[in-house]
Amino acid sequence: MIESIIRYMRGYVKIRVEGESTERFLNLCSHHKIFIWGLAPCDTAYEMYVTIDGFRKLRPLIRKTHVKVALVKRHGFPFFVFQNRKRKLFVPGFLLCVSLLYAYSSFIWDIHFEGNETYTDQVLLEFLEQIDVTPAMPKGRVDCPQIVKEIREEYDDIVWVSVSIEGSRLFIHVKENEDTFLDEDDMENSARADEAVSMENVAPADLVATMDGTITEIVTRSGVPLVHAGDVVKKGDILVSGRIEVLNDAKEVTGYRYCRADADIYADTQLVYENTISRTYEEKVYQQKEQRIQFYLTVGDVRVSIGSKAHPFEKYEVSTEEYTLKLGENFYLPLNYGKIHVKSYQTEEKKYADRTVQEKLTEDFQLFCQKLQEKGIQIRDNSVRIYLNGDVASAQGTLYLNQAIAEAADTEIIEMVERNEEDESIRSDN
Amino acid sequence: MKKEYKTMCIGEKLADAASLPKDVVMGASVVTVLGSDEVIIENYRGIIEYTDSLVRVQTKGKQIRLCGKRLQVEYYTNDEMKITGCICSIEFCT
Repeated sequence: MIESIIRYMRGYVKIRVEGESTERFLNLCSHHKIFIWGLAPCDTAYEMYVTIDGFRKLRPLIRKTHVKVALVKRHGFPFFVFQNRKRKLFVPGFLLCVSLLYAYSSFIWDIHFEGNETYTDQVLLEFLEQIDVTPAMPKGRVDCPQIVKEIREEYDDIVWVSVSIEGSRLFIHVKENEDTFLDEDDMENSARADEAVSMENVAPADLVATMDGTITEIVTRSGVPLVHAGDVVKKGDILVSGRIEVLNDAKEVTGYRYCRADADIYADTQLVYENTISRTYEEKVYQQKEQRIQFYLTVGDVRVSIGSKAHPFEKYEVSTEEYTLKLGENFYLPLNYGKIHVKSYQTEEKKYADRTVQEKLTEDFQLFCQKLQEKGIQIRDNSVRIYLNGDVASAQGTLYLNQAIAEAADTEIIEMVERNEEDESIRSDN
Repeated sequence: MKKEYKTMCIGEKLADAASLPKDVVMGASVVTVLGSDEVIIENYRGIIEYTDSLVRVQTKGKQIRLCGKRLQVEYYTNDEMKITGCICSIEFCT
């Protein structure tokens, strides 16, 4: 590759050697260190490439060997320049091209971000714009350490920034703090826990059933359990009481101590499931021939469009695709282009096939079950069946679940003052 | 083996004994064959005949005869030459 570039720059010619002692000519060439390549026999002659310097040295060899040498073709830069010597503007044009290339390469044309996950390129670009770092700014004005400093100051989550210039691209590599979100979650959790602790101290609470069911498991951490595994409970029944009786030696209630009841209570419950869908639906049938396409180009506020989007369609869909022309990754030019597509359609009433309806209902039911399971509800069994009745299809049945049914509710506070007074009166009577 | 050794000239024997490369000491030609479509010949005297099906190269003492199809000399210098094309045979003739 490099060799061929050097050859091109120096220039070379293709010659055709004809005669009786062509082999001798070749041997003399190699003896006089004239470099020959691409040697190929052609009818009764040979064709080969030789450098311009080599070609100049050929004359005595030609005379000696009595061969005929014909110049077939000239190649290379010196010949190109010679051929275009009368094109006056070529050299200024070339020089202008080189100078423009040099001038343009002294600007930043693109800003590339790497390592950003929470902050999008757009957000970072907007921030850079605020500190006057934009595409098409001169390279000399770019102060990399200052950009690093500004980014670090603005964003606490970005723990490391590296800014470098690569060609005409500003390369910004950031490293975000991955533990940030975890910390926030932890803080939220701990705050919730603190709240719970304080609530425990202030507000006593019972645990009541949120729905009807049969208790399957109860693990009490605080409070007095009022139900056992196997008990049937109704919605609103107190499951664990937050009021603990204080008994004396005679097993009489002398007072109450209140706490926030805490327990894991699971019960078998039932849920009625019903999902009805219509078997008929409207399908759009696009009219292939009835459509309008308009192409447009927007430069600043000027808009040029080709085609028309005026239409007599009754029902139609309009879709617009728009693209912004950009240089590199982030240097957007004020040039937009796109097309507006107006498609006419007619609606046709169609009916789902039995199998399709069944599939749709099954899919819905599976999604419903999945959502229940995501909430931690265990599905033991179900009696859901699909019924197809005329224009309506439905899935109906009961789901047999096992789930946590406890919910906190305020405990009834019982005052013991009266009882104490009674006790005292009895004592005084005695 | 002994018989072969006897037929060798003094220069050859010396090169053999001193483990010197024969192409340097004796001027033996070096023929490098790459696949069946590329041959590089070093230490040669000159081309005797060249057509697109036959290339005869004179080396010190012997001729190398290359038969094939579409033979082409990629480059040809004082030290080495490269022949490409579909090579069928390489012969050494006296």
